[in-house]
Amino acid sequence: MSQMPAADPRFAEIESHRPFLVRYALAQLRDPEQAQEVVQEALLAALEALAGFQGQSSLRTWLTSILRFKVLDLQRRLVSDRQRIESTDAGDEGEALLDELFDESGHWREAPQPWSNPEAAFEQSRFWDVFGKCLDRLPAASGRVFFKREVLGEETRAICGAEGITESNCWVILHRARLALRACLELNWFDAGVADGR
Amino acid sequence: MADSAALDCRRASRLLSIACERDLTPEEEQALRVHLEACRGCREFEGQLRFLREASRRFGK
Repeated sequence: MSQMPAADPRFAEIESHRPFLVRYALAQLRDPEQAQEVVQEALLAALEALAGFQGQSSLRTWLTSILRFKVLDLQRRLVSDRQRIESTDAGDEGEALLDELFDESGHWREAPQPWSNPEAAFEQSRFWDVFGKCLDRLPAASGRVFFKREVLGEETRAICGAEGITESNCWVILHRARLALRACLELNWFDAGVADGR
Repeated sequence: MADSAALDCRRASRLLSIACERDLTPEEEQALRVHLEACRGCREFEGQLRFLREASRRFGK
């Protein structure tokens, strides 16, 4: 932010349009966090381009036009994200995970084994390292859905809305994330002999 | 669920996961109970789902 001409009196003026811009972004995106982020991006871009602003239109109109480009850009990214969700997490790659875990007759290839004293893991900082790494290994979109649902405790309906997917698609994605996370913890914690200090 | 009596582990595990999101229908509930009674692997999975949920909540704090 070094290029920011903080001394420029228009800096405060730009900032004063933020509430309007957030409302504008909210109307396009519905997701408050995304709206805040995209407004922040637009304001930074505006500050960098301020020298070129000739004042032919009102400051608000100029800011809004910058924001409109940022929103369109984000929407394009969201669409490609959504396609990624549909093509990977709920699609063939998700099926591949299920085929890895279940045989043709629908039985576990390796049935889940009892975990010894799982709650004791909560007290061990190494467990949380493993847990975080297992979360990171989830495919991007399903990791995001799982994180919002289980770590942040958001409602499924809100998550699906933000992701632009149906609720039942959300359930499928969450299910696959749970299967993958369970398998990862079993492999890297409970089976690895670290759980009981072996 | 037409052939609910023939619930396999793949479908049972999915129902267990869905039960974290919404109430199961009486038919789903019944089919799941029958399956769980006979399947130790899925009973373990059920407990591990609870563990995952609790671990995730704690991870966020």
